[in-house]
Amino acid sequence: MRPVALDQARVFIIVAAFNEAASIGDLVRDLMEQYAHVVVVDDGSTDETAELATEAGALVLSHLINRGQGAALQTGITYALAHAADYIVTLDVDGQYDVKDIALLLAPVSDGTVHAALGVLPSEHKQSVRVRLASTLRAIGKLAGRLGLRPPVPAAHNGLCAFSRHAAQMIDLKLDRMTHGSEIVQQITAGGLNLQEVAVRVRVSDYALRKGQRSSHALRVAIQYIMARFTR
Amino acid sequence: MSALQTLILLLFVTLAVLTLAAGLRGTAPKRVVAAGLLLWTFGAIATIWPHTVADLAHALGVGRGADLLLYMTTLSLAVVCFYMYARFRRVERQLTLLVRRLAMDAATETTTPPLMRNSIPSDPVRRTDSGTAPRLLT
Repeated sequence: MRPVALDQARVFIIVAAFNEAASIGDLVRDLMEQYAHVVVVDDGSTDETAELATEAGALVLSHLINRGQGAALQTGITYALAHAADYIVTLDVDGQYDVKDIALLLAPVSDGTVHAALGVLPSEHKQSVRVRLASTLRAIGKLAGRLGLRPPVPAAHNGLCAFSRHAAQMIDLKLDRMTHGSEIVQQITAGGLNLQEVAVRVRVSDYALRKGQRSSHALRVAIQYIMARFTR
Repeated sequence: MSALQTLILLLFVTLAVLTLAAGLRGTAPKRVVAAGLLLWTFGAIATIWPHTVADLAHALGVGRGADLLLYMTTLSLAVVCFYMYARFRRVERQLTLLVRRLAMDAATETTTPPLMRNSIPSDPVRRTDSGTAPRLLT
């Protein structure tokens, strides 16, 4: 891996956080060591997420009421674009990702190879809900393809992504909740931009496992996505 | 006409008057008023001459008038549910845009004013059609 010659001042890290007081401070401090612009979107938290993030040095955007992760990410992306960001990274707080891996995602985006890079966790990591979700969604997509339909869910959702400014401008998340991963992929590819999946390391923390949702979640994401297509 | 029929008829007349009044005041959209009046008229006809519904049911290949009413009710319920869901989603979306706007406004009050986009050297991949304002109301 070659070092990335990248102007850090042009990179904005977006973290959507809802009641993450337990981990947000450390995450922001880790990020601030390498990146100048860390934007935490406090999605209507009832704990001291916003205060801790501010204390750690992040710029905090506060949603007065909880609007879901997709909505929070879009707020952060909109803010970053308005503040002349050239590269935008979105990151989950759940502690499954290694902050150092952000550079891996930024590399292909900043050298112009792709417009978006999506972090993919190793598929053998079965304890991760995200991995289970990804494989379930992939199975649904395959089934739809076999039935001659366009797969309703283009890809699983991603907790770590890097976008060029151009790609970020394509993103307009309308689904407030967890369906945004599929929405992001769909909007970027519809805009004719290329993307790449980058393998990232996983950190199995107790915190991440405790936060895990049920795997029935995948089905809910799929249903929400399909319904949204009819009611838009 | 039985006492029950009179009572139900009275109910439909009241509903029709209320609907018409709402329409005249302009508090209800025209198509809602029209649909309401149509429904109440149908109800009144079915109350006074019950077998008109039965005849209609036979014409449509449904066994009994009561069955026809049941099917129609179920169908309209589904339509109403879908309409409400779509409306709910629209309101949710507007709420998100509002919350986003408030978050952005609060942030610009506390930080230095954003760099003007046109003061930044142009970049081939950057779209030039968008202005300096963030996309919030699309």
